[in-house]
This record gives sequence, C-alpha cells and structure tokens, in this order.
Amino acid sequence: MTGNETVLICEDSAEGILTGIYDAYRIKKDNMIKSHDLIHLALGEPYTARLFTDYIHVETDFDKAAKVSDTIKKQLGGQTYYDLCLAMASCFEEKADAVYHTVVIGLKEHDRNVLDRLGNDYVQSAFKCYRAAGSETNRYIEFIRFSELENGILYAKINTKHHVLPFVMPHFSDRLPADDFVIYDEAVGIFGLHPRFKQWYIAQGMEFDEGSIRYSAAEYEYRELFKRFCESIAIESRINEKLQQSMLPLRFRPEMTEFSL
Amino acid sequence: MQYTDNTSMELYMPQSKSTMEKLAILTDAAKYDVACTSSGVERKGNGRDMGNCAKVGICHSFSADGRCISLLKILMSNECVYDCKYCINRRSNDIERATFTPDEICELTMNFYRRNYIEGLFLSSGIVNNPSYTMELIYTTLYKLRNIHRFRGYIHVKGIPGADPLLIRQTGYLADRMSVNLELPTAKSLERLAPNKTRKTILTPMRQIQNGITQGQNEIALYKNAPSFVPAGQSTQMIIGATPESDYQIMSVAEGLYDKFGMKRVFYSAYVGINDDKELPAPQNAAPLLREHRLYQADWLLRFYRFRVDELLNENHPNFNILLDPKCDWALQHLDKFPVEINKADYSMLLRVPGIGVKSAQRICKARRSAVLDFDSLKKMGVVLKRALYFITCSGRMMYNTKIDEDYITRNLLAVHEKLPFDRDRVTYRQLSLYDDVYADAGAV
Repeated sequence: MTGNETVLICEDSAEGILTGIYDAYRIKKDNMIKSHDLIHLALGEPYTARLFTDYIHVETDFDKAAKVSDTIKKQLGGQTYYDLCLAMASCFEEKADAVYHTVVIGLKEHDRNVLDRLGNDYVQSAFKCYRAAGSETNRYIEFIRFSELENGILYAKINTKHHVLPFVMPHFSDRLPADDFVIYDEAVGIFGLHPRFKQWYIAQGMEFDEGSIRYSAAEYEYRELFKRFCESIAIESRINEKLQQSMLPLRFRPEMTEFSL
Repeated sequence: MQYTDNTSMELYMPQSKSTMEKLAILTDAAKYDVACTSSGVERKGNGRDMGNCAKVGICHSFSADGRCISLLKILMSNECVYDCKYCINRRSNDIERATFTPDEICELTMNFYRRNYIEGLFLSSGIVNNPSYTMELIYTTLYKLRNIHRFRGYIHVKGIPGADPLLIRQTGYLADRMSVNLELPTAKSLERLAPNKTRKTILTPMRQIQNGITQGQNEIALYKNAPSFVPAGQSTQMIIGATPESDYQIMSVAEGLYDKFGMKRVFYSAYVGINDDKELPAPQNAAPLLREHRLYQADWLLRFYRFRVDELLNENHPNFNILLDPKCDWALQHLDKFPVEINKADYSMLLRVPGIGVKSAQRICKARRSAVLDFDSLKKMGVVLKRALYFITCSGRMMYNTKIDEDYITRNLLAVHEKLPFDRDRVTYRQLSLYDDVYADAGAV
C-alpha cells in the first residue's frame, strides 16, 4: 500500500464521529495501513483537496456508533466517555480528529486516564474541546432563567455556542423532578423536555412560535422582585461593570431576567 | 403665619409593607455581608422534592459591583437592639425598618429557586428583641422551608451570638452552612466598635458549631441515616480597614480560625464607610479594596497552596506588597529555591511557582507520567507563562535567556500588568483611598 493519507468525512454529530472512528479502524485493517497517523477524520469537505489523499464520506450508522461508544465506555471508563462526548459537542473543526486519535491512544495503551496525557497533541486538542464545552455547560447551569407559563410549565431559552443542551438537562431534571419544563436552544433549534417525574428527552424539528407564549400572572411579579433584588444587592461605592462583564459576558444576557427590560 | 381650621395634623402610621418593599429594604441591609457561596455540600435530588446541591457551588448572576449572586441574601429583619458603630442597621441609625415573616421568605425562596435565579437562601438578621428570639425566627423559617416546602437546596444561616445553644443546634440540623461573624480581627477592636458584643459570646457558638460538626461526622460514620449537622461547614467574616491591625495580625487570626475552629472559609470585608463616627475612618477614604484582594490571595495560599502565614509575613514585614501578589512576592524572596524543573519537581513545589495554579499543577503531575513536557504544552494546560517563565525549566532549559535576579524579575513581572514605575519605598502597603490613586501617585514619582 502507498503512503497515501486517508481522510474520512463524517457528519457533525456524536454518532457521525463515532461511526467515523469505526470506519477508520475498519479501513486501516482492510487496507493494511501501517499507522492511525495516516488516517484523519474531518467534518466537511476541505477548501482545497490535498494531493496523495483519499477522501471518503462516512454514512452515519447508529449500530456502528453504539459499538464504538460501548468500547470506549468499557475500555476507557465512563468519565473519559463523558468528556469525549463533551468534546464532540463542541464547535471546533478539529474535534473529530482529536477524539479519534485520543481513543486510538487510549485503546493502544490501555489507559483509562488517557485524557491526562496532555503532552500529546491530539489529547491536548481534545482537552481544549471538552474544556470549552464543559465550561459552557456550567455557564448555562448558572445562567438559564425559567419563566412560568400560564399552564404552569417552566420555559427557558438559550443560545449555545457548543451543543451543550443534552449536558445541561440532567442537572435540571435532578433539581426539578416535580416540574414540567422545556429548554429551547435557539441556536441549534432543539428542545430539551422534561415531563414531571419522567425521563427527559431531546426533541428536534418542531414548529415553534415564540409569540404564542403566555406567562402566568405570578411570573411578572417574581421577575420584578428578582430585578429589585439584583439592584439592591450591589454596593454603590463599588460599582465595577468591567468586572461584572468579565464574570457574566454580554452574550448570555438577552435571555436573563435581571438584564431584560 | 395663619392657621386655618382645616389644617390637619398628619399622623404617621406604619403601614404593613409589601413583599417588594421589604425585599428592597432587607436586601439592601444584607448587602455588606460578604459570604455568598453555595459550596461545600453535594446532595442529589431525591426524585420527588425540589432542589439539589453541587459541591463546587453555583453562581447564578453577578451584580453591578461584580460580586457573585448565588444565594437569596437577605436579613430576616433589620431591626436591631445593638449599636455596632460600623453597621448600617445599628439602633442609632434612622433608617427604614422591615421584618419578613417566615412564610414570605419561604415563598420567595421557592419561587426564585424554581426559576433558577438562586442556589438557595442566605439568612441573617438584626437582633430583634434578644438573640434567642431572633434565632428562633430564623429556625422557624428554616423549619418551614425544609419540612413544609420540602426544599433541598442550599441554606446558609448566621448563628446569632448569645442565642440559646439549643436553638443553634436545632438550626444546624436544617442548614448546610452556618457562620458566626468574628466582626473585627481583635478583641480590642471589637470592644471599641461593637460595645454590645464580646469575643467570648462570638467564639462560644463558633466552638459549639465546630463540635456539632465533628460529632455529626462521627455519627454518620456509625449510622448512615443520622441527620447531618452543618454539612457544608462553618465560615466567618471580619471587617478590614476599620481598625488598625496589620495584615500579619489579620492573617494570623485567620490561620488560627482554620486550624483551631475547623473553618471552611474566612471572609474579609474591606470596610465600606456608611456611618459617620469618630471611632471610624472617614467614609471618603475607606474601601481599601486592594488590601482586601491581597488578603484573599493570601487566604488561598493558606488553604490550597500549603503556605503558612509565617512564610508570607512577619513582624518586620507585616503587610502585603501592593504591587505584587503574595505568591510572586514570596518567590522573589526565595529565589534560591528556583528555577524548578517542571518534569521533576514535586507537587507542593510546583504549587509555589507563580503562574501555576492548583489545576495546572495537577495536570502537570498527571501529564508528565506519559511524556516530557515542554513550554508549549504548559501553555495549553493553562500555566501563565509570562509569570512562570522566570521560575521554571523544562528539560533543564529556561524558556528565554533570563536572569535569576530579584530586581530583574520584579521589573519584568510588573511590566506584565500595568506599567508601574518601581520604587522600593512604595513596595510595602500603605493606607490608600482608591485604586486609581495608587497609579496616579506612583506615576508622579
């Protein structure tokens, strides 16, 4: 076999990337490619195709993805799997390749703490991805604001950079088991739904008209109370908007009760 | 002036206030309390009742002064029978007074929490009638919140010095964290500024809570379902800058509290001039924020970086350097220990390198098991190289050709932030009114 590189182009989703990893292992075996270093994953067509490189499109396959995720969970442990999922939810181009090669190293070295190998470039890049997605998850756990609708359902809207809604949902379903609530991720167009005392789920592709939302009477009252609270709690002689902004960036504020008019 | 018959005398009748008015008054009255953390306890939801707790704590917003809003921080009442000179709620101040009922607090907490505004409740109070009466009001509120509303979120309450120990104990079973304010660093200052409080009445409940926590931990080791007593631990706070203590004295007190009272946190509150009083610094030159900042930095060094106060300060060097943070300052005084080799140095030495925090030190220790680290990977791990580069080597090499020389490094470290002209005389702390003045003054040298 030649020293050609192979690039697998997969769908931008966890399943897509996991399928890509499955196919990469298969192609390596079938074509007797010497090293995983000659295979890469990408999320889309490159702007300019490189010479001596084969581009292959990967069809997302849930069975293949499930096999890979089972292997990762079993061999590398739940925490590593969770962090890799976070990395795959991030918005970075290089995430697919980083996750793929991190898995390769982990499986090869039988290292459940493969993500600690920050001396390695692939692991470093996976680290960057999951750190960014992880910190956005935490930000939304902090900054999501629910509003009570007329029918008692809690509703919140977010605009994520990384696709973190699935990582935010467990926190709130643990916290508010007795509430029906919906979190709408406007950027991705998906809903996280939690029926009271039931398992949460993600829904996609639903028609939704924000104008039809009716809030409950108490909702306006509590919004005013909270705004008042936030105003009163600040010490006038210490006003420091720069500090406030570095702790709470402007991009989160449109959906936050205390910053809305 | 002529009076007509229909002049009516207006009689002031205190109307019952709305929740909105009370919230404004009692938030305003509570804002000078610095502790607003929701950390220290991990409690999963039980699948039925509202609420859980995260060990790391969760901030939900940031107020205009840049402080985090984690808990609904309010006073039960701003009525107070005491007359502490520094306090806005002292009895001799003519301010609007209000008192929440336990039910109002429960409603607010539950509804704020459900909307993800807050992580829980922080309840303090002025002294209504007497300490025990006040403590009982607080206890009633917590009882209702936990047992009627079945709230499982975070609760931080103040232990009122002088209250019946039984009440403090019962409250402790309902709260996650309790704190008793030390108020001022020394007994002498306390006597001067808080005539109704003594060191003894403050330390008694502190000790009681500490013993309760230890006892609770022992019981949980024996019986899994024993009720937990103040599971998130105890904290306290003191006011800085209202009295003449040095940083050395303050930090020694803090260290004592960590060692002897098992405190989780000690908070430092830079004095904010509210009242005019001959015993207090004039309101306009209060707010030594930089000093507060340095104390917090040193506090972190004590709690997470394995430093002792005596290493940072001593009788001859009683105050922190205003230009450099305590860790840089320490490193510059101990250049004989540097540079350290990243691939070999032990964890506690890595912690002492400026620019390396707890997390990056841990990452380094894990990562170097599988690879030899270079400066590039350090940078990606979160090490602040522009501060660390003077103190470390990777595989025996320094990043640049730098000298291990105190003046040289100091000059370069100062250049990283603000361009400050460096003057040996101004290194040690002096009373300053504002940040801006520091730089203006220093610039004029």
